[in-house]
Amino acid sequence: MTVPEKPLPVVAMEAAQAAQSGPQTLTVSVGPQHSGSGHMRLIVELDGDVIVNASPDPGYVHRGIEKICELRNIIKNIPVIERPAIIDSSNLNHAYINAIEELQGVDPPIRAKYLRSLLNEMNRIMSHLYWLSIFGVFLGHTTMFMWPLGDRELFIDLAEQLTGARITHSYIVPGGVRRDLPPGFAEEAVKRTEYFEKRLGEYDKIFFNNPLFTSRSKGVGILPRQDAIALGCTGPTLRGSGVDVDLRKDEPYGAYAKLDFDVPTRKECDSYSRAYVRMDEMRESCKLIRQIVKDIPAGPIRRKAPIVLPRGEAYGRVESARGECSFYLIGEGGDKPYRARFITGSYRNMAAIPVLLRGGHLADMPTAWWSVDYWPVEADR
Amino acid sequence: MSLPLAREDGIIQKINGQFSNNIKQTRIIRRSRPEITVGPEKIREVATFLRNELGFDHANGVSGVDYNREGRFEIVYHISSMDKKDLRDLVLALKESTPRTAPKVPSLVSVWPGVENFERETFEMFGILFEGHPHLEKLFLTDNWDGPPPLRKDIRFPTD
Repeated sequence: MTVPEKPLPVVAMEAAQAAQSGPQTLTVSVGPQHSGSGHMRLIVELDGDVIVNASPDPGYVHRGIEKICELRNIIKNIPVIERPAIIDSSNLNHAYINAIEELQGVDPPIRAKYLRSLLNEMNRIMSHLYWLSIFGVFLGHTTMFMWPLGDRELFIDLAEQLTGARITHSYIVPGGVRRDLPPGFAEEAVKRTEYFEKRLGEYDKIFFNNPLFTSRSKGVGILPRQDAIALGCTGPTLRGSGVDVDLRKDEPYGAYAKLDFDVPTRKECDSYSRAYVRMDEMRESCKLIRQIVKDIPAGPIRRKAPIVLPRGEAYGRVESARGECSFYLIGEGGDKPYRARFITGSYRNMAAIPVLLRGGHLADMPTAWWSVDYWPVEADR
Repeated sequence: MSLPLAREDGIIQKINGQFSNNIKQTRIIRRSRPEITVGPEKIREVATFLRNELGFDHANGVSGVDYNREGRFEIVYHISSMDKKDLRDLVLALKESTPRTAPKVPSLVSVWPGVENFERETFEMFGILFEGHPHLEKLFLTDNWDGPPPLRKDIRFPTD
């Protein structure tokens, strides 16, 4: 072995090492201090700036909600199960109440079903707007951060008029809802949704048709249709991969069987298609809100429901803003559930994150990852 | 209101026809909610049959349930079909039980890749081992958690 007379320059040494040991990778930890929205960590393995592997490390905001639910009365659980996604609270609340009512055999009055769907659609818009503003921040587009958060107030105010609370409404209870429509609500809802639809056109102009956005999102983070199905993805993530599944159509709950709406899907399977599915969903939600306030039948809003959970099993589910939210409730005749299994859209979509990121560039990570709308608190529960 | 249960009956009959001796129990909780109970030794074959022959290509979730008074854990796979449009509203519960003293069942990640995270959570929360799982590690609990599996019924916390 010959010893060089003077040490090699650093660059040459690194090149020699790389040639000896094959490809070398660097492991980077993204998070857990608010890597996006909420505390979670992504462990990313890089070869140059190409992502070789990525694995999510959740659990930083785990609260043990399933255990809490086993120890409390079914009514006291309502505010607890809303906490994982306060931006989408009524959909989570609805899934829980669906399971309880199935066990109790209670059918709420038709007006209550319309009111539930009304709040669900407002929550869907509020949640998608929150997602869109964070998406804007991720891509350095400050206008797209400010506008959706500002427009979100339109619906937060409406929800406050209806339920008395801005975000965690606790509005849906076994047997019906807590409050009826306030006077003048219908006119206000029509005015606000019509204004908001015009705003969505402006979002298109400044963001979705903007080459700064399209060049960073089209063809980025591909999730093929078969992978999306096999990995158990749900909601807009699945519809962005071309599967026209929506529980509001497939297993109608609330008033959705009587309402007319479309299920937007896109076939490109990339970040842009997942993002634009949510834009189309907001348009559909505006239509639904106007239909509901126009068609809502008169009548009672609440029926008597028992305070106990009868013996048996029920699997209640709804289409929340991030996909299927399901409750698998087991009752044993007492006022507490024996088991309350709670699975949310973000938890299921977590399985898609490694597939989306693998093979892409590190600079594309924010676009690809956030197009899933992964909400850590909702996934950890 | 009673609706016909022909689809649910058909699925259960096909399963019974294929695995007549190994199906422990079948029932229909309500329309769209059939339920099949099998032993852990046969669950992988039944799951593969459900996926390949009956079109159940999508896992909605995995739930552990602790029946401590009966000395067993129950593991429930909720599965559905995306490809078959007429089955979109149907969620099938595939159940198995394992003794509380030595909880060990085969993993179904090879059948439905989507159950990977759910099985990891069931492992950490109940202490059930899933044989054949690619990396059976903690998911939500912190790495330095050395207490008992917290969702077991006999675990009580000081504030209860």
